[in-house]
Amino acid sequence: MTQQELAERVGVTRQTINAIELGKYSPSLEVAFRIALVFGLPLEQVFGYESGDGES
Amino acid sequence: MSFREKSAWISLIVVLLTAAAFFLHVPWTLRPGPSPGLAHVTGLFLILLVLIDLIGRILVFVTAPKGGLTGKDERERLIDLKAARSAFYVLLAGNLLALPLVHFGADPFAVAFAVVLSIVVAFVVNYSARIYLYRRS
Repeated sequence: MTQQELAERVGVTRQTINAIELGKYSPSLEVAFRIALVFGLPLEQVFGYESGDGES
Repeated sequence: MSFREKSAWISLIVVLLTAAAFFLHVPWTLRPGPSPGLAHVTGLFLILLVLIDLIGRILVFVTAPKGGLTGKDERERLIDLKAARSAFYVLLAGNLLALPLVHFGADPFAVAFAVVLSIVVAFVVNYSARIYLYRRS
């Protein structure tokens, strides 16, 4: 799936998908859930959180 | 480069060029004090600014790839808000510095130009912040 296709299905721009992939932008919960829904996966399998002390 | 970043670049260049033309020309051709030509020239400046900006945006719109133009998403709205917040502080500071000049006997004509200058600087900060935020993320 291309970034453009994912962006269209989620309802954001391709640039926003790119920024999320690069870790430069943290999406809202709503967009995060929509992305997870597109892939048919639970949220925690699509997104991870890395704390400052290196724990994830 | 996204459509909105291109638009911000166009707006920044248009504001800089028209403001440069305005400030390099108008203060020296209009005499201090109430001038019947001031409102006319300022109005002309604003119309020119809007027209050039509109033409630039139409050109970007026409040349944009198909499907590249959508409504603003949450990231773009956040960028707009951050840029507008920066510009607001600049505008506020500019006006707070310009308006007290009246109490020091400054010519109202000069004070008006100081206010216009702060508005122009606020626009420049707004568009520059947008470009920076679009390029950073």
